[in-house]
Amino acid sequence: MVTTVRPSVVHGEDTDIAWRGSGLGTQILVLSGRALRPVFLDPGRIFYSVLQPMVLLLLFSQVFSSIAETPAFPDNVSYVDFLVPAILFTTATTVATQAGVSMTSGLKNGVLARLRSMPVKPVSVLIARSIADLGRGAMELTVVLVLAALVFGYDPAGGVLGSVAALLLALATGWSLGWIFLAMATWLRGSENVQALSILVMIVLQFASSAFVPVEALPGYIQAIAQVNPISYGITGARDLALGNSGGSAVAITLLICACVTVAGVSLAVRGFVRVGRRA
Amino acid sequence: MTEPMIEAVGITKSFGKVTALDGVDISVPRGSVLGLLGHNGAGKTTLVNILTTMIPMTTGTARVAGFDVGRDAENVRRRIGLTGQFASVDEDLSGFQNLVLIARLLGASRAQARRRATDLLDIFGIADAAVRKAKTYSGGMRRRLDLAACLVGRPDVVFLDEPTTGLDPTSRMAMWEIVRTLVDDGTTMLLTTQYLDEADRLADIITVLAQGKIVAAGAASKLKAEVGQLTVTVRLDAPGDVAAAEIALRGAGMTPTHDENRHLLIIPVASARSMTAVVRALDEARVEPAELSLTEPTLDDVYLALTEQTLISEPSVRSA
Repeated sequence: MVTTVRPSVVHGEDTDIAWRGSGLGTQILVLSGRALRPVFLDPGRIFYSVLQPMVLLLLFSQVFSSIAETPAFPDNVSYVDFLVPAILFTTATTVATQAGVSMTSGLKNGVLARLRSMPVKPVSVLIARSIADLGRGAMELTVVLVLAALVFGYDPAGGVLGSVAALLLALATGWSLGWIFLAMATWLRGSENVQALSILVMIVLQFASSAFVPVEALPGYIQAIAQVNPISYGITGARDLALGNSGGSAVAITLLICACVTVAGVSLAVRGFVRVGRRA
Repeated sequence: MTEPMIEAVGITKSFGKVTALDGVDISVPRGSVLGLLGHNGAGKTTLVNILTTMIPMTTGTARVAGFDVGRDAENVRRRIGLTGQFASVDEDLSGFQNLVLIARLLGASRAQARRRATDLLDIFGIADAAVRKAKTYSGGMRRRLDLAACLVGRPDVVFLDEPTTGLDPTSRMAMWEIVRTLVDDGTTMLLTTQYLDEADRLADIITVLAQGKIVAAGAASKLKAEVGQLTVTVRLDAPGDVAAAEIALRGAGMTPTHDENRHLLIIPVASARSMTAVVRALDEARVEPAELSLTEPTLDDVYLALTEQTLISEPSVRSA
């Protein structure tokens, strides 16, 4: 096929309009739209991203349900009610690691290379990615909560409001951790490395915590990790909210940690992103 | 005389101990095309990356579209279009969506962006595939979409890094036609290539880069005249004639080289007029050539003479 190009059109026709770049707001809007598209429009991706937390919920509720009989376990709480706030957190951290993986594949396929040669601010690209992952997290967590209530008999004392508050806390934690994984993606070479390290960090954060069993029931050295693990505070906070306890301080500590993590993650990610092209 | 649209002075670039560029100077006047010719690893992409603000240079200065690439990168980015070696389009978006995205990021309104995307898809012959995801496109279509994407903002300077590498001949021809139209349209362009015929066809000035250094620069005809050698080729039918002819030519002060298998004698000459001397020498030796021809140097010859290396990775394409 022979393509004929009409010279006047390539550069001609309304050449008086010079497009020299858009504002930060437009950049974030346009790029978030692009990043969110697969999250809500790709049925395969939606199916698998929801499948994982469901399987986790199923497995844990069956495998560990006898823990509810042990002395360290709080009284008058069913294991499902104890477990669901934790599943919200593990799901949120999984979404956070995915942020890093998505970013590395973006760095690989050249789209981000084009953006770097355009008058587009690095921070817009990163914020757009982060917003997309927030959207994805919100969707997944909502599905988990609804299915847990409908299928697994999740019915905590804190009611709907408490559970929604727990969901929001998990979402905020996942979003702030996402920035660490985004930063990692911009600093590390190779998506395999990012994926391997992400999974490692994620597993430690998830299991050395109060997620699946009470902290008191863990061996001593793991207890030590669990007590400084931000996820433990988050999960404790989410349980307080969901179970209608008036503990409170865990929620505040979680939010404080999230704020610090976000600030550190954003600054590292922006620096790493600017640097990406420079090590070609 | 207006200032050059691309001007680089003394650019060096080191990656650790490896020197990728070693004192490169180039100057591209408005509306002309510089063809940057070199092997893989000669430093072509590094130079493009520096000039498009993607990576910083180690030493040197460069201005593109009147702005310093180091201090004023943002303004440079507003005025350039870059198409790299690998088509950088979003595979999950359609061709149309890809172009709209770029236009919006460059500050076009939704309506303007749609109009520009439609126009460009039409111009580049991918209007039929406008709504298909880019991952379903052929290599040639992807390249054209990629080139269209770099033209969305009507850039003052266009960088094409190996625009036809990996394309089939038909797609290559289509790409050439598009590039030539841009050139006719007055776009200032820097084009890198490993293909000599591509540089010969598309570029006004050719710069040959080898191991990070410019080894030659000038118009294709000038390079050929400088480095290439005009030759007379004599083909003889009888094996005995070859020896007789060789003696006669040496007697006339020429230095023929001998291709035994094909009964050929190749004689470097200073100008076309030396043809007469060749004929006279052969005539005196009573040797009748089966074929006599004058051969212009090709860019291949120039390239090989300059880089003093063999083309290892890619078989070279002979320019006509």
